[in-house]
Amino acid sequence: MKVSLPVAMGAALLLTGSAVTGLRGQAPMTFIVESPTMTTGRFMPRDYSPDGRNLSPPLTWSGLPAGTRQLAVISQDYGAGRPPPWVHWIIYNIPGDAGGLPEGIPFDPDHPMPPEIAGAVQGNNGWGLPAYRGPAPPLGSVHHYHFAVFALDEELDLPPGLDRRELLLAIEGHVIGQGDMVPLYERQPMNQFPR
Amino acid sequence: MTTQLRGTDVVIVGMGAAGGVAALPLAEAGLSVVGLEAGTWLDQRDFAPDEIRNNYRDWPMLVKKAEQERPTSRATSATRANQIGGHPMMNAVGGTTLHYWAQSWRLNPWDFQVVTETTARYGASRIPYGSTVEDWPFGYDELEPYYDRVEREVGISGQAGNVRGRINSRGNRFEGPRERDFPMPPLRWTAFHDRMAEAARSLGWSPFPGPAAINSEAYQNRPGCGYHGFCNKGGCPINAKNATHITTIPRAVDTGNLTVITRAHVTTLEVGSDGRVTGVNYVVGSNEYFQPAQVVLVASYTYENVRMLLLSKSRAYPDGLSNNHGQVGRHYFSHHQGAGVGAFFPYDLNSWYGLPAQGVAVDDWADDNFDHADLGFIGGGNLWIMSDRRPISAANMGTYGQSRNWGSAWKRFIHENSDRTHGSYIQKTTLPYEDNYLDLDPTVTDPLGLPVIRITGQFKDNERAIAGFMQDKMEDWYREAGAIEINRGGLGNTMGASTHAYGGTRMGDDPETNVVDRWGFSHEAPNLGVLGASVMGTSGARNPTLTSQALAWRTAAHLVESWRDIAE
Amino acid sequence: MTDSNGRRPAISRRDLLRTAGAAGAAALVPGAVAAATEVTPATASPEVAGQGPVGSALPAETAPFVARALTNLTAREAEILSAMVDRLIPSDEMGPGALDAGVLRYIDRALSEAESDAADAYRAGLAALDTYSRYTRGGPFIDLSTVDQDSVLIDVQIGAATGAGVGFVGGSGSFFNMVKSHTWQGMFGDPEYGGNVNFAGWDLLDYPGVRLGVSPQDQRDLEAGQLEPVRRSAYDYGMFE
Ligand SMILES: Cc1cc2nc3c(=O)[nH]c(=O)nc-3n(C[C@H](O)[C@H](O)[C@H](O)COP(=O)(O)OP(=O)(O)OC[C@H]3O[C@@H](n4cnc5c(N)ncnc54)[C@H](O)[C@@H]3O)c2cc1C
Repeated sequence: MKVSLPVAMGAALLLTGSAVTGLRGQAPMTFIVESPTMTTGRFMPRDYSPDGRNLSPPLTWSGLPAGTRQLAVISQDYGAGRPPPWVHWIIYNIPGDAGGLPEGIPFDPDHPMPPEIAGAVQGNNGWGLPAYRGPAPPLGSVHHYHFAVFALDEELDLPPGLDRRELLLAIEGHVIGQGDMVPLYERQPMNQFPR
Repeated sequence: MTTQLRGTDVVIVGMGAAGGVAALPLAEAGLSVVGLEAGTWLDQRDFAPDEIRNNYRDWPMLVKKAEQERPTSRATSATRANQIGGHPMMNAVGGTTLHYWAQSWRLNPWDFQVVTETTARYGASRIPYGSTVEDWPFGYDELEPYYDRVEREVGISGQAGNVRGRINSRGNRFEGPRERDFPMPPLRWTAFHDRMAEAARSLGWSPFPGPAAINSEAYQNRPGCGYHGFCNKGGCPINAKNATHITTIPRAVDTGNLTVITRAHVTTLEVGSDGRVTGVNYVVGSNEYFQPAQVVLVASYTYENVRMLLLSKSRAYPDGLSNNHGQVGRHYFSHHQGAGVGAFFPYDLNSWYGLPAQGVAVDDWADDNFDHADLGFIGGGNLWIMSDRRPISAANMGTYGQSRNWGSAWKRFIHENSDRTHGSYIQKTTLPYEDNYLDLDPTVTDPLGLPVIRITGQFKDNERAIAGFMQDKMEDWYREAGAIEINRGGLGNTMGASTHAYGGTRMGDDPETNVVDRWGFSHEAPNLGVLGASVMGTSGARNPTLTSQALAWRTAAHLVESWRDIAE
Repeated sequence: MTDSNGRRPAISRRDLLRTAGAAGAAALVPGAVAAATEVTPATASPEVAGQGPVGSALPAETAPFVARALTNLTAREAEILSAMVDRLIPSDEMGPGALDAGVLRYIDRALSEAESDAADAYRAGLAALDTYSRYTRGGPFIDLSTVDQDSVLIDVQIGAATGAGVGFVGGSGSFFNMVKSHTWQGMFGDPEYGGNVNFAGWDLLDYPGVRLGVSPQDQRDLEAGQLEPVRRSAYDYGMFE
C-alpha cells in the first residue's frame, strides 16, 4: 500500500512540536533518524502494531551533534490523546555512542536491555506502561507516528517510569540536537490476515 | 385478591436505620406498631468475615430489592438516564445499618442555618446560583436532646469536643455543644493514626477520633469491637456494630407492641376521600395484603420514600401522595463523596485490622469553620483517615507507575507494598439546586413492573470547587505524614445512585417548598410521616445516619405527644 | 404468615441457598440435579473440595459439581484460561502462582454460582484470545513463548486487541479486567471458594489472616512485625453459614 505525503509535510515533520529548548536557549541542530524497516510517510510493518507482534521498531541515527553524551526517544501520535499527543513509547538514558535501537526492546523490566544500549530505561507511555505499544488507531483511519530522538549534552541518570511531561522537564536545557522520522499506520482487519 | 388485615395504630414502612429507631418510642408509649420490612432477619451466622461475599458478591442477602430497583441517573434533563453501577443498600431487618460503616456524626450548628449564616457573614450573593437551600425550620439546639437520646439508645462511641460550651481539644472543637459525653470512649487508634494525627497537628489543624455506632467497650450486654477488618459492607459477627436489628428493634419487639413482618414489600399507600392516609398495600411473594393504619410512617430510604409517594396516586393527590405542591422529588442531592485522594507511603501502615469508623478526623476545613471571604465557594469538607484493608482490595492497589499490575514484577511490588497505600474519605457540603431532582423513570421498571426512580443531578460549581480545595488539604496532610506519591480522583459530575441521598421530601415550614413540616409530617396528608434523610435540606460535611435517627426519634416522640391531633 | 416477629427462624441460610440454587440450576440446565451453590461443608479442606467424587466426606449432591464445571469451561477453554492466569500471577521465586493457588477451580465454581452471568463472556473471550494470538503471533495462545503471551495479554488489557473479526465482545479490555478480577478473588479471597490454596495469596501479601478479635497487643505485635499469621478460612471458625 502506498501513500504519497505532501512534500512540505516532510520538512515540517522534522520538528517534534515539543517545547524543548536547546542549550542556552538556542534551537537545537537537527540530525538524521532512519530505520531499516520503516520510512517517513510510508506504512510501517504490522509487527510494530498490535496487528502483529507489537515489537518496538529498530531506529538508527547519524550526524549527531558533537558532544552528544546520551539520547532519549519519544514515539507519539499527535492525532490522538486528550490532550494530544498520545504517547506510544519513551526510552532514555541511551548511551551517546549507540548508533540506534535494535528491534524488539523488552517490554518487561525483568528482561535485560540489549548490550549496545545498556543502561537505557523506559518511561511510561499513554497506557501507563514502561514499554513500547504500537499503533492501534480507529479502524479506517491513517495516523502519523513521530519517533523523536533527542541528543543530550550530559549523561543524565534518570529513573525509569517517567512520563512524557516529566522526561521533557528532565532533559530541558540539555538538548543539543533533535531528529525525527514519521511512518504511518492503518489498522488491518484481522479477518484479512493469513492465519 | 387482596387480603384485608386488622387495623393498627401505626405502620412503619422499612425497618432500617430510621424506621428501626422510630419504632422504639412508639412501642414504649403503648401504640401498636406494625413494621413492614421487605427483607428478612439476618444474624451473626450470616456475617462471615469473607471479602468475596461482602465486597465482591454483594451479600447473598435473601432479598435483593434495592438492587432490582436501582435508580437511573443523568446529569441534566437534556441527557438520557441510565442505570449505572450497583446500589449497596441492604434489605433486611436493620436495613443498611447491618453493613454500613457506622460513622455516627451530628451535624454542626452551621448546617441548620446555611442561608442565615452565609448571608450574615458574606452577603446573600454568596448563596450559589440556582440553589434552593433553605434554613432548617429549627436549629441544632432543638435536635440536641434527640441526638443525645439516640447516642445512648443505639450506642455511640466517641470523644466529646464541646460539653455544654466547655471545649475539649481532644474532641472536635467545632462541634455544637452537647449535653454530655458520649456513652463510650472512642475506638482505639493504631500507630498510623497517631502518625496522621501528629502530622495534622504540625499543620496547625485539630485532629480527633470520630464517632461510631460501634462499641469501643462492652455496652448493653454486647462486646466491644474486635477490629477484625471486615466491617466495610460486612455485618458484625460479634454484634459490636450497633445496627438497629440488635438495638432498638428487639427492644421495641420486647414491649409486645411491635410486630415485624418480613418479606413485606410495600407498593403504595391508600388515601380516603378526606385526603387522609388509610393504610398501605404490600405484597409477600404473589400474595397481596392491605394493612389499615391510623398513621403511616415511610422509612424505606430516600429513593423508595419518594417513589412510593409518587406511585400512590388518588383523587385527592392526582400527582402522587402529598405532591399537590409539586415538591415530592425536589431539592434532591447526594453527598459529594467522590474526588478522593490516594497516597503511597514508604512504610507499612499496619492497617489489616481495623474498620472505616476507626479514624482520625479533621474538621478545620468543614462547614464555615474557616474564612470563605476570598474563596469561590461556601461550605467545606471533613477529612477522614480510616483503617480499612482486606486482601483482595489490597492486591488491587494501584502501582503508582512502578510496575505493570500483573506478572512477576508485580508480585514483587505487591509483596513489598500491599500495606502501604491509603485512600482518604472526604465528605463535602452538597447543596440542593433547582434542576437536581427525582422523578419516575419513563421506561425502566422493577420486577413488579413499577417504574424506578430517575435521578437528574449534577455536582455544581460550588461542590466542585470544594472538592478541589479539599483535595489540596488532603494532599498536604498526606505529604506531611511522609507520602511519596499522591493521586486524585476527578472532581465529579453526574450524581449516581448514592448511599447518602438527601431531599425529595424536604422538611420546612413553607408548604410551597417543603413536603413535610417541622415534625416530619406531611403538609397535605396529616397522618403521613416521613423518616430518613429524604427530609433533610442540607448534608453538612458528614454522614447522615445519626441525624436521620435523631429526627426519626423526634418525629415518633411528637406523634406520641400529639396522637389525638395526628391520628384521629 | 411468614417468619414474622420473633427473631429469625431456625433455618440456615445455607439450607435456603441450597434449595434456591438447586431450583435455579435445574431451571437453567436441564438434567442438572441439585448441584447447588456452596454445598462444600466448611470442614472440607480446599484441596479436597471440587476435585470430583470424594466419598462420604461431602453430601451426595456435590457429586455432579465437577461434571457441571466441565460443561462451563471446555477442556480447551480451561487450557487457555490456565495459560492466561499463569501469566497474570506466575509461579516464581516469590512463591506460588495463580494455578498453584487453585484460581482455575475458583473461576470454574464461580461460573456455576455467583458469576454464572459471565459464562458467555468467558467463552467468547477465551476464543477471541486464541484467535488474536493466531492472527498476530502466529500460533495458539498456549503455544506462544511467555514473552509473546505477555505481549498478547498487554494488548488485550489495553484494549488494542480489538481488531475486526477477533470476536471480543465489548472490547478486549473488559474481558481482561473480568478475568483479572476473578483471578484476584481466587488468589486472595477466602479458601472456602476453592482458591488461595495453602494461603498462597495471603502469604504473598503478608496478610496475617482472618481473626475475629484483634487485641491492642495483637495490633502492637503487627506493628512490630511479630504477629504470627492465622491460617484459617472464615468458615473454619464454625460459627458461620
Ligand atoms: C456501605 C455503606 C456504608 C455506609 N456508611 C455509613 C456511615 O458510616 N455513616 C452513616 O451515617 N451512614 C452510612 N451509610 C448510609 C446509611 O446506611 C444510610 O444513611 C441509612 O441506612 C439510611 O437509613 P434508612 O432508614 O433511610 O434506610 P435503610 O437503613 O436502608 O432502611 C430502609 C429499609 O426499608 C426497607 N424497604 C425498602 N423499600 C421497602 C418497601 N417498599 N417495603 C418495605 N420495606 C422496604 C429496606 O429493606 C430497608 O430495610 C452507609 C451506607 C452504605 C451502603
